[in-house]
Order: sequence, then structure tokens, then C-alpha cells
Amino acid sequence: MEPKFNLDREKISDAEINSKKDFGELVKQFKQQSIEKAKNDKNFLKNKKATYSAIIAGATVICTVTYFTVFKKQPPKQTSNDKITTTQNTTSTTTNNKANKAFIAPPVSKLNVPYTSYKVNSEKGATIKHHSDSKIIIPKKAFIDKEGKDIVGDVEIKYREFHNQADIIASGIPMTYDSAGVKTQFESAGMFDIRGYQNGEPVFINPLKPIKVEFASTQIADRYNIYELDTIAKNWTYISRDNSLLNKTYNGSSNNEKQNAHNKEQITDNKKTIELQKQIDAIPPKIEVEKTTYSKKIELLPKTNEPLKPSKSIPGRVQFQLDVNYKEFPELAAFKDAVFEVGSENKNYNSELSKITWSSADISEGPQKGKNYLLTLKLRERVEKLIVYPTLSGNSYENALSSYEKKYAEYKKLQAKREADEQKLKAEFEAKQATYLAEQKKLSEELVRERIKIQKEMEQQLNEQFSNMNNASKVTRVFNVSRFGICNSDCPTKMPKDETLNPVFLVNNGTKFIQPNTIYLISHSKNLVYEFHNEPLKYNNGETYSICIVANGKMYVCDKNSFATNIATKQNKITVTELGNDIADAADLRTALGI
Amino acid sequence: MLLNAVNMEFSPRYHHTAEMLQSEQQIIEAAKQNPEHFGPLYDKYYKQIFGYVYQRMECKDTAFDLTAQVFLKALTNIEKYEYKGVPFASWLYRIAHSEVMQLFRTKKNLKTINADISDLRHICEEVEEEYMEQYKGILMQVIKELPEDDLLLVEMRFFEKRAFKEIAEILDITETNAKVKLYRILERVKKTLTKKSK
Repeated sequence: MEPKFNLDREKISDAEINSKKDFGELVKQFKQQSIEKAKNDKNFLKNKKATYSAIIAGATVICTVTYFTVFKKQPPKQTSNDKITTTQNTTSTTTNNKANKAFIAPPVSKLNVPYTSYKVNSEKGATIKHHSDSKIIIPKKAFIDKEGKDIVGDVEIKYREFHNQADIIASGIPMTYDSAGVKTQFESAGMFDIRGYQNGEPVFINPLKPIKVEFASTQIADRYNIYELDTIAKNWTYISRDNSLLNKTYNGSSNNEKQNAHNKEQITDNKKTIELQKQIDAIPPKIEVEKTTYSKKIELLPKTNEPLKPSKSIPGRVQFQLDVNYKEFPELAAFKDAVFEVGSENKNYNSELSKITWSSADISEGPQKGKNYLLTLKLRERVEKLIVYPTLSGNSYENALSSYEKKYAEYKKLQAKREADEQKLKAEFEAKQATYLAEQKKLSEELVRERIKIQKEMEQQLNEQFSNMNNASKVTRVFNVSRFGICNSDCPTKMPKDETLNPVFLVNNGTKFIQPNTIYLISHSKNLVYEFHNEPLKYNNGETYSICIVANGKMYVCDKNSFATNIATKQNKITVTELGNDIADAADLRTALGI
Repeated sequence: MLLNAVNMEFSPRYHHTAEMLQSEQQIIEAAKQNPEHFGPLYDKYYKQIFGYVYQRMECKDTAFDLTAQVFLKALTNIEKYEYKGVPFASWLYRIAHSEVMQLFRTKKNLKTINADISDLRHICEEVEEEYMEQYKGILMQVIKELPEDDLLLVEMRFFEKRAFKEIAEILDITETNAKVKLYRILERVKKTLTKKSK
């Protein structure tokens, strides 16, 4: 089922979040939980009758004392040793729960993977080296009894490992994992079962002193998670990502291999990527240089000034006639015969001004450049300033207008050329910029491709190195075990779905039908076994499988070549061979399956 | 360049100085002796953990309930907690993640992806694609179809805006590894985006 996707969901206020905080309630629940656990522990009740009675009586003070007693002593969270069971007679674990018995059910008892027993002094601790090269590192005082007291004396550690498909089948340990309602099957990087006893009674691991298992795994991939088998919930419990490989605990690997493993995590540059990066980084400055160059070119394009249109003199307006220095005001050359009209904006003008004979009259640029001028009239201390407009009349105006029109046409022509030149330069710059950006994009894409290539090469190199290593104990996977039971480093894999087969199993050279209780479809490309019960067999195309079935307490196999023929011919009658008495253990089963 | 193109702002809430870590460690040690001393940690991290949980689901009440459960579990297991030089929050986040996943295993319909439109823009920028309205639906679909682990990384990086260091500590992987993984996810997202938008 696809998850729902909310966009821009309304945020929850801090006040609302804070309103739900209740530390008092948390502590209350915690205490209650501790007491409940104590109540549920039969042995605890047996040995702590007085305390239990007090709890029942509800005396708060005693409750608290009891809680602290329990909390401090840290008995195991779950007495899982009592609950994990196998049907093998040789295992010491027992249970009264029938359902649990069926949960781990080795198909044939004699094939079950046996335990190896070790004696460890609880006070001293020990490092056990298992025959598979795995190590079990037990700290001092790692064991406690059911009351949470430190164990004194020797403890018997029973330990066994499951490495391949045959071990998995022989153990009867369910490898189906239900994740959010989706059934998957575990591809295994290895699994172990560890238990502890003193005088036949199970002991527990002090949660503060977990046992470390350095598991010698033959699976080198880095895609596994750590799970614990919860025999109560009848499912595996996800514990964490298996980062053992990332932590680089390779058994017997050289420094060089460790370095390579380390490199696996990094995007490493090589000469090519460094060069590419340099080229990419060099592009923005190049664009900047071009931008500056073209700005200057545009700046240097010839500028043209718009000629001024002559104004026609309007009779009746106040006018002045002046002697003008045409060198100083060349634009007035066209106004040789000009008269200056007093603009209506001159609020200080009155007719009296025209009657005064001024000692000096200066003309300078007006507020509207080229259109009007500032006339400054002086007589002793008196100064009057007027904004004036040059105007023409009669032929002078006509001549000036004609000259203006010619100049204006010339001006427009030059202006159009300038604009065209500017556009051309801009277009040239944009084209160059686009080329640079395209080059930058191309280089960036190449850089990404190159980095992916490096990454893949490194992965391949690492995998090859592992493949070339000695076949035994290739990788050490580290588990911190704070509870006895079964742990694994596995990867959930989807059930096969490409093809469906309703198999009919035949023995005695195809003369007798048998009805299997369980069908194991064994993958030969992954360390994986699919289990089917009273349902059609499903498999994926392109993969190699063999078949193992259990019927009436007997095991039968169909090797990978025979089953490949069945697949190729779509033949649902599968001939299987019964495993004889010569198959004595899981190793023999492995040989029989051709793994 | 991928992963560096977008200058995202990250909340400094997670970062701790050496002094802060030391002081936090003292509180943890006290809480191991007496659960009543867990209070300051509860106060400090309640909002963050609630935020983490609520980010992944629709129902507010369920998120509050689950947050309470996370803290109960933390308090129950605090004796097992070992200081590894990172904020206590990373341990709490791992518990929260485990609780959330546990819930989704039984009630998978509760799983929700929550993001802002600006987050989708960030992803587009990160994969060097100019954000367009038509990408919205495609991106949402691509994200919905991501495997669980990949989605978690995308959520943490883009929707919760966590720094790689923080992501790495929560997921118990190296920072480089987190970057490499996200880099690969984004490569795939880019590929799909390009393909589907044609």
C-alpha cells in the first residue's frame, strides 16, 4: 500500500505539543510497568512472596521499594531462554507452550545443527573461539540468575551457528519475516543460537554487560540488518542495521583491504574528476570576463545627440534680443536671428524689467538643456534671473527648421545603426555565455558519471577482493547480545512471483506420489530458502533452485539440474529422491542439495 | 554540484558542544540511578521526538501516544544506554524509528509522507532541475515509491532538514555513507523525473 502524501500540512503549535507533555504520567507508567513485570515473573513471585503480597496490598511505599529493588537488579526484560524451544532432544531448553514448540520445528531431528558447549567462569569471563572462527567475548560477571543476582561459578554456554541453506532447513528456524503485513523471506548472512545454563537452570545476561559475538560470516555483502527471534510474537524483531562491515571488522584482512573498504564509502576523485571540476570552476570567471568586454564595447559605440527643433516666435510675447557668443553656445548658431521669449514660469517678470537698461546680461544653460536658457541681468546690486526660450520667425525659422530636419534624419540613421550594433554585441555575448553554460552542464554531467563510475569500480574491486580471499571466515559481523536466544544478520527478500507451479512429487523413479508437509525452494544464487505449505510453488525466472520436501518425517530432494529441467519444460511432476541414512547431519544435507 | 547546490538551512537544535554533551551525560547517569531525574531529558527532547514521529503519520493523537511510548521505552532501557560521543537525541530517534516501524508493520495504512512544496523545490534544485508545476505530481509519486531506507534519508534530509552529521548519528552510519546513499537516491530521482516529464 502506497503511503499518503500530504503537502503543506498545517503545523502544530508549540503550545499544543507542550500541553501533551506529562512527565509525571511517564514516571507513573514506568513504575507500574516495572511492578507488572515483577508480578509476571513466576520465579520472582516464588522467591519474593512477601514483597508480592505487599504489592497486592497496594502499599505505595513498599511498591516503590519493590520497584527499585527490581529496577536496580535488572532481571532480564524477558526470560526468553524459557520460551525459545526446539524439538530437538539434545537441546536443553524447555517450555510448556505447545504453540512455541511448533514455531521452531526441525524437519528431521537427527539433521539438526548441534550445540557446542563451553564452560565459562562467570566471575572471570572469557573469550571463546568457536570452530567456525567466530569469537564469543564474555565480560566478567556477565551472568545473572532469575532474581537478578550475579552468578557465581561456572556457566555452560551452548552455542551453534547456521551459515547456509542446509543449516537453515535442518534447524527448522522460521526465516519468514512479516514487515508491515508484507511477507518476506530472509536472505541470511549468518545466524547463531546462544544459551547459558548453570546446573541445568537457565541463566541470563546482565543487560549492562552484553556478550559480544564476533560472527565469522561467509556473506560479504553490505545489505543486512540484525534481528532477534521473538518466539513469543512469532516473528523476528528488527534490532538495527548491520554496520559490522561499515565498521570494517574484517577478519584477517590486511590494512590495504581495510583502506579499500573505507574507500567504498567515499566519493573519491581521480585525475579526471579533479580536471573536470577545475574546468567547471573556470567557467563562471570566463563568463564574467566576456561580460565586462562586451559592456566596454557597447560603451564605446559612437554616441549621437538629438538635434534641437527650432521654436517659432509667437507675436505678442515678451521678447529680448541679445548678442550671443556662438562659439560658447554653438547650438544657438541656428538662432543667429533668434529672439528670446520670456517663459511664463518667470513669476518675477514684470514689464518694468524691459524698461531698465541693464549693465550686463549673461546667458547660461537653462533647466531644460538645449530647450531653454537662464538669462541673468545685472545693474549694480540688482540681479534678475529669467528663463528664456530662443525663437525664430519668418525665413530664419524656415531655414532653421529645414536644417533641423536634415540633421534629425541623420541623427535617426546613426541612432538606428548604434542600436543595431548594440544588439549585435549583446547577441554575441549571449551566444558566448550559452556556449559556456552548455559546456559547464556537459562537464557537470560528465563529472557525475565519472564519480558514479569510480564508485562502481571501487565496489567491484572490493567485491573481487573479498571473493579472492580465503573462503573461510571472510567477514566478521559483530553482535552485542544482551539476551540469550537466536540472532541473525539477514536481509528481507520478496517472495518469488514470476512463475507458478502446482507441483506433484514422485518417488521411486516416478512410480509413487507423495504429499509433502513442507516444500523448501532453495536459491542457489542467494543464501536463501523459501518455504511453502499447501500452496502453489512460485519462482523467479533466471534463478537457479533446488527443491527439498518433507513428508511423513522423511526428507526428499530434487537437485538443481533436475529442477531446471522441470522449469524449462513447465513440467509439474517433480521426481525427488529420498535422503537415506547416510545423510547424518546438516553438512550432508548441504552436499545432497548441491550447495 | 549535487548535494551542494542548495544552501539549505538546518536547525541547530541537534548540535551540542562538548560541555553540553558532558552535562547531558551527567543527567543520564543520574536518571540511571533514579527515573525522576529523567525529567530534563524528557523536557529537552519531547518536541523533537514528537516532530519525528508526527512527520511520518497523519494522526496527531497516534503521534502523541507513540511519543509517550518512545520515552517510556527510553526510560525502561536507559541503563543500557552507552555514551558514544553523540547527543542523547540520536538514541531517542533510534527508539522512535523502531516504534514507528513497529506500528507500520501492523497498521501500514497509518504511514504518511508529509512535506512542504518548498521541500519539493529543494529536491529539484538538488538534482539540478528547474522546479515546474508538472513535476509536483511526478516527484510525489517517485518519493512514494522509494524503498523504506531511501525514503527515510530523503525525509530526514529534505523534509526535516537535518544535517548529514545528524542523519549519520541517528542512522548509525558514517556521514560520508549518508551522503553517498542520498547522492545515489537523487541520481535515481533525477533519472525518473527526466524520463517521466518527457
